[in-house]
Amino acid sequence: MFWKVVLLIWMSAVIAAAFLLPAPQSQLGPASRIFFFHVPVAWVAVLAFLLSFVFSIMYLKTRKLDYDAKASTSSRLGLLFVILATISGSIFAKSTWGSFWNWDPRETSIFILLLIYGAYFALRSAVESRERRAALSSAYAIMAFVAVPFLVFVVPRVYLSLHPTTSVIDVRLQMQMPPAILITFLASLLGFTFLFIWMFNLERRINILAARQKEV
Amino acid sequence: MSSNLTAMIVTLIIWIGVFLYLLRLDRKVSRLEKNSKHA
Repeated sequence: MFWKVVLLIWMSAVIAAAFLLPAPQSQLGPASRIFFFHVPVAWVAVLAFLLSFVFSIMYLKTRKLDYDAKASTSSRLGLLFVILATISGSIFAKSTWGSFWNWDPRETSIFILLLIYGAYFALRSAVESRERRAALSSAYAIMAFVAVPFLVFVVPRVYLSLHPTTSVIDVRLQMQMPPAILITFLASLLGFTFLFIWMFNLERRINILAARQKEV
Repeated sequence: MSSNLTAMIVTLIIWIGVFLYLLRLDRKVSRLEKNSKHA
C-alpha cells in the first residue's frame, strides 16, 4: 500500500509541476507542457513492447505458457499506451499545427505501429489451441518488435517532420533542458514506469485468477 | 481562473480517478486471491 500512496503523491506533484513551471518550449507556448505526459507515455509503450519481445523469446525457448501470457499482457498495455501517446500527440498537433491529424511521418509511423499490434491481437483471437496460439503470437511479437525502433526512432528523423525532434536530446545527443524541467520530466518517466509495473502485475493476477476459474 | 490552473485541476481529477479505479481493482483481486486460496 505504501508505494501506491507514494505513486499517488509523486504523480500529483508531477502534474502540478508540469502546469506551474514555465512551458518547456517557449516558441510552442503552453501546448508544449504536454511533453511531460506525451513522451513518458510513448516511452512506456516502447518498454512494454520490449518486454513483450523478451517474453516471446523466453516462451519459444522454454515453451512455458506463463511467458506467453506475460508477452500478451505487455503487448496489451503497450497498445494502450500507444493509443494514449496518439491522443496526446493529436491534442498537441491541433493546438500547434491546426488539425488533429496531418499524416506527418511521426503520425504515420505510430499509426502503422497501432496496426501491427492490433494484428497481434487479431492473430491471438484467431487461433484456438493454446500452444499453437502461443507459438505463432510469440514469433509474430518478435517480428513486430523489430519494427518498433525503426518506426519510433528512425522514420521520424529521416523524413521531414513537423514533430519536434530535439525535445529530449539535441542533435549532439545532449539534454538541453533547464534543471527544473529536466527533473519534472524524469520524475514523470519514473512515475509512468511504476504505473505500468502496477498495471502489468494487476493484469497478470487477473489472468491467473481467470485461468484458475476456468479450471474449476 | 487561468486556463493553466483549470487544465491542472482537470488532469489531477483524471489521475486521481485512474488511481482510485486501479486501487479498487487491486483490492478486489486481492480478496478473490484470498478466497481462491481458502477454497
